[in-house]
Amino acid sequence: MILGILAGLGIALFGFTLQSSVAGINRKVVARVQKRYGPPWYQEFLDIFKGLSKRGVTHGWIFDFGVIMAVGGIIATAMFMPITSNIAAFSGLDNFFIFVYLLAVGMLGMAMSASGSGNPLASIGVMRALTQMFAYEVPFLVIVMTIIKVTGTSSLVEIMAYQGQNGWFMWTMPLGFVVASISLLGMLGKKPFETFIAPAELASGPMVEYGGKHLGLLFIMMEISHFIEVSLFVHLFLGGATTIVGYLIKYFLVYTAANLYSYLNGRFKIDQVVVFFYKWILPLAVLQAVWVLWR
Amino acid sequence: MLNLELVVLATLLGGVVAYLLSMINKRVGSAVTILVSGAVFSLLAYYGFGNSIDQTVELIPNFVMFKVTALGTFFAVLVSFVFFMVSFFNPFFAERYKYPNAFNLLYLMTLAGVVGVFYASNFITLFVFFELVVWTSMFLIPMGKGTKASITYFVFSTVGSFAMLYAIIFMAVGFGTTDIDTVLAGLTGTAALIVYGLLLVASFAKLGAYPFMVWLPKVLGNAPDPVSAVFSGGIEKMGAFIAVLAMIKISPASAMFEAVGLPVQNYIVGVIAAVTIIVGTMMAIRQDDAKKLLAYSSAANGGYILLAFTIGNSVAITGGFFHIFAHALASTAAFLAIGVVTYRTKTSKISELGGMIHHMPITYVVYLAAIISMAGIPPMGGFISKWLIFQALIQNNLVFLATAAFIGSIGSFLYVFRPLAALFLGQKLPKYKDVKEAPLLMLIPMIILTLLSVVAGVFPTLFLPMINNIMTELGFQTLMTSGFQIIGFNGTLDPALVAAVFGTGVLVVFILFMIFPKSRKVGLMDTYTGGEFIYTEELLHYSADFYAPLERLYRKEPFVNKIYDSIRIKVEELGAFVRYFFFTNKPEVTVFWIVAILLFIVWGDII
Repeated sequence: MILGILAGLGIALFGFTLQSSVAGINRKVVARVQKRYGPPWYQEFLDIFKGLSKRGVTHGWIFDFGVIMAVGGIIATAMFMPITSNIAAFSGLDNFFIFVYLLAVGMLGMAMSASGSGNPLASIGVMRALTQMFAYEVPFLVIVMTIIKVTGTSSLVEIMAYQGQNGWFMWTMPLGFVVASISLLGMLGKKPFETFIAPAELASGPMVEYGGKHLGLLFIMMEISHFIEVSLFVHLFLGGATTIVGYLIKYFLVYTAANLYSYLNGRFKIDQVVVFFYKWILPLAVLQAVWVLWR
Repeated sequence: MLNLELVVLATLLGGVVAYLLSMINKRVGSAVTILVSGAVFSLLAYYGFGNSIDQTVELIPNFVMFKVTALGTFFAVLVSFVFFMVSFFNPFFAERYKYPNAFNLLYLMTLAGVVGVFYASNFITLFVFFELVVWTSMFLIPMGKGTKASITYFVFSTVGSFAMLYAIIFMAVGFGTTDIDTVLAGLTGTAALIVYGLLLVASFAKLGAYPFMVWLPKVLGNAPDPVSAVFSGGIEKMGAFIAVLAMIKISPASAMFEAVGLPVQNYIVGVIAAVTIIVGTMMAIRQDDAKKLLAYSSAANGGYILLAFTIGNSVAITGGFFHIFAHALASTAAFLAIGVVTYRTKTSKISELGGMIHHMPITYVVYLAAIISMAGIPPMGGFISKWLIFQALIQNNLVFLATAAFIGSIGSFLYVFRPLAALFLGQKLPKYKDVKEAPLLMLIPMIILTLLSVVAGVFPTLFLPMINNIMTELGFQTLMTSGFQIIGFNGTLDPALVAAVFGTGVLVVFILFMIFPKSRKVGLMDTYTGGEFIYTEELLHYSADFYAPLERLYRKEPFVNKIYDSIRIKVEELGAFVRYFFFTNKPEVTVFWIVAILLFIVWGDII
C-alpha cells in the first residue's frame, strides 16, 4: 500500500506537469490563432511558482483549511487515475465512482474556502459552479452508467481493454460521445460554460479573494482536476492507451480541441446552461442508454 | 437474558417517573430521558447482538406478542440510539416548552412504541404500537412553533394507519390469524397484491414518499429541534421497516418487466421512489429554512431506501439497510447541528444567519461531516450505501430510475451547501456577535454521531455483520467482502484505501502549505468589492435566494399541494355543513329537525 501511495503521488505530479505544459502550449496555440506571439510554453509554471512564493492574505482558518482540503482531495483523486493500461497506482481499484465522488471532496473544499472569505462574489461563483455541476454531471453519469453496464466493470483499465477488443465507445456510442464532449466542456469550465468564473462579471467568481500561496495551490488544483477530467474522457471514449506516447497524443488532441472550440463561443447565462443540458443533452444521454441497454 | 416486555414497560414507567420529576425540576426530568433511552439502547444492543433477548409476554394483555428477529434488532437498536443521542438536547430545550413534563413523558412513550413496532410478532401488536407512536409523537410536535403542523401530521398518519388497518383486517379474515410471518408467507395472487399495496401506502405515509411528502417539511420545520431530529433519524425509519415487510417478505407473482428484470409492481414503486427523490431534492434546493431543507432531504433519502428495496437483489438490499443506518446517523447529526444554531440564535432561517462558524466551530465540523455523508461523498457512510445502490441500478439496466438517482445525488451537493455557505460561512453578522458554541452536553452526541459516520465510511465491514444477519434471515446472500474491501457487481471498493489516500493528499498539501510564506490575517470585511465602499456586514453577505437562477426555472408548486388544498376545502365545507345542521342554536334548524323527525315517525306509521 505504501508503494501504491508513492506511485499515486507520482501520477499526481505527472498529471500536474502534463496538464500545465499542455495548457501552456495551448496558450501559444490560441495566440497564433489570434495572430499574437503568445507566452512561452512554461508560463503556467511561472504563474504558479510566482503565486506560491508571494505573501498573501488569509480570512481565517476555514479559508486555509478549505484550500488544503481542496488540493488534497484532488491529489487523492488523481492518485487513482491510470495513465495507460499498465501504469496505475492501485490496479483493480480505479473505480469510476471514486473519481466522481472524490473529486467532489475537492470541489467542496474549494467552495467552503471561497464562501469562508466572506466575499459575496465568491459565494455567487460557488453557487453557479454547483448549479452548472447539477447540469453537466447527470447526463455524463447516465452515459458512463451505460458504458459500465456494457463492459460489466467500472474499472477504467478494464474499460480500456474492452474498447481494445470491441472498438472505441466514440464509434459505438456516437450520441454518448456527443453528450460526454459537451459535458467535458462544462467540467473544464470552458466557454460557453464558464459561467462560474466569468471574469468580467464576477471578478473570477470563487477565485476572487485568493492571492499568494492560496492562489498558487488552487492553480495546482485546477491543473490536476483538468488532468483528471480529460484523462477520464480519453479512457472512457477514446479507448485509453497502451503506451505513454499514445496517451500523450490523445490527451493533447482532446484538450486542444476543447480549448479551441471554447474560443468560438460566447458565455451562457447560468439558467441557460441548466435548460440547455436538461432540454437537449439529458434526453440524448437517456436515448443512448435506452438504445444500448433495452434492445 | 433480557425480557423485551420489561424493556417496553420500563420505558413507559421511566416516562411516568420523568413526568413526575419534571414537576419538581425540569432538568432532572429531562435527565431521566437520557438515562432511560441510554439504558434501552445499551440493553438492546448488548443482548440483541448477543442473541439473548427473551420474547415471552406475561404482564401485558395477551394479544401483544413479540418475536425477536435480526431485522427488528437492527431497527430497534438504531432508532433507540438516535433517541439516546437526541435526548442529550432535552435538558436544554426543557425551558422552552410550555409543558416540559409532558414532553419527557411523551418522548419515552414514543421510544417504547417504536421498540414495540420493531419486535411485534403479529399485526395487532404492530398496529397498537404503531398507533402509540403516532399518538404520542403527535403531541410532541406542537411544543415547537404551532399546532397546525400537528394536524397535518395526524392526517397523513391516519391515511397510513387506515391503509395498514385494512390490510390487517383483510389478512385476518383470509387466514384467521395475524401472525406476521405466517400471513405474509401465505399470501398469493391478488390478495398478495392488495396487501402489498396497502402496506406500501402505510410505508409511504411514514417515510414521506412523493404524494405524502407534504407533512415532512411542515412537521420537521415546526417541531422543536430534538423532535425534528428524532423524526428524521428515527420515527421515519418505521416506514422503511414496513416497506421491508411489504417488498421483501411478500413477493406477489405478476408480470415481469423484461428489460429491467423486475416485477411490474416493483417497477411502479421504483418510479414513485424516483419521483420522491427528484421532488424532494428540487424542493430542498429552494428552502430558506434549514430545518425544512433537511426535511425534504430526508424525504429524498427515503426515496433511495425505497429504490434499493424495489431492486431486491442482495447488493441493493444491503445498500438499502446501510443507507438507513448511514442516513440515520447523518441526518440526526445535521438536525442537531441546526438545533444548536436555533438554540443559540432562535432562528433557523438561512437568510437571517451568517458566519456561525466563527462562533461555533465544532458544530460547523459536525454539520460538515453530516452533509458529506448525506451527499454520498467519501470517506463517509453515505458513500458506501450510494455506491451499493448505484451498482444495483446499473446491473438491472434501470436507466430512468438511475437518472433520477443521479439527479438526486448531484442535487444533494446543492442543497447541503446552502446552509453551509450562507448560515455557517459568509460574513460574521454583528447581531449575533454574542453567540457562543453549544454547551458540552450538546456537543457529546454530535461528536459521537460524527465519529460513527466516519468509521462507517472508512471501515464499513465493521457494521456489515448486523446487516448480514438480516440478509441471512430474509434468505438473501450476504455481501461479498475481502478484508476491508467490498465487492459489488462491477467493481471493488476499498473505503479504507480511499480514506488513506485522501489523508495522504491532505497531508502532502498541508506540508506544502506550511513551507510557503505565511499569510497576513485580514478581516472578513476587507474584501474585493470592485471599487464600492460597503461598511455593513449584511450588505456583503450573500444568503437570501441562494440558488435564485435555478429556482426561477421551477417556480410553480408541485401539483399535489393543490389537490390537498381542494380536499381540505371540501372537508371544511363538510364540517360547516355538519356544524350547521347538528350543532347549532338557530331556531329554523331546530324546527327543521322536529319536522323531519315527526315525518320520520309518521312515515314509519304509514308503512
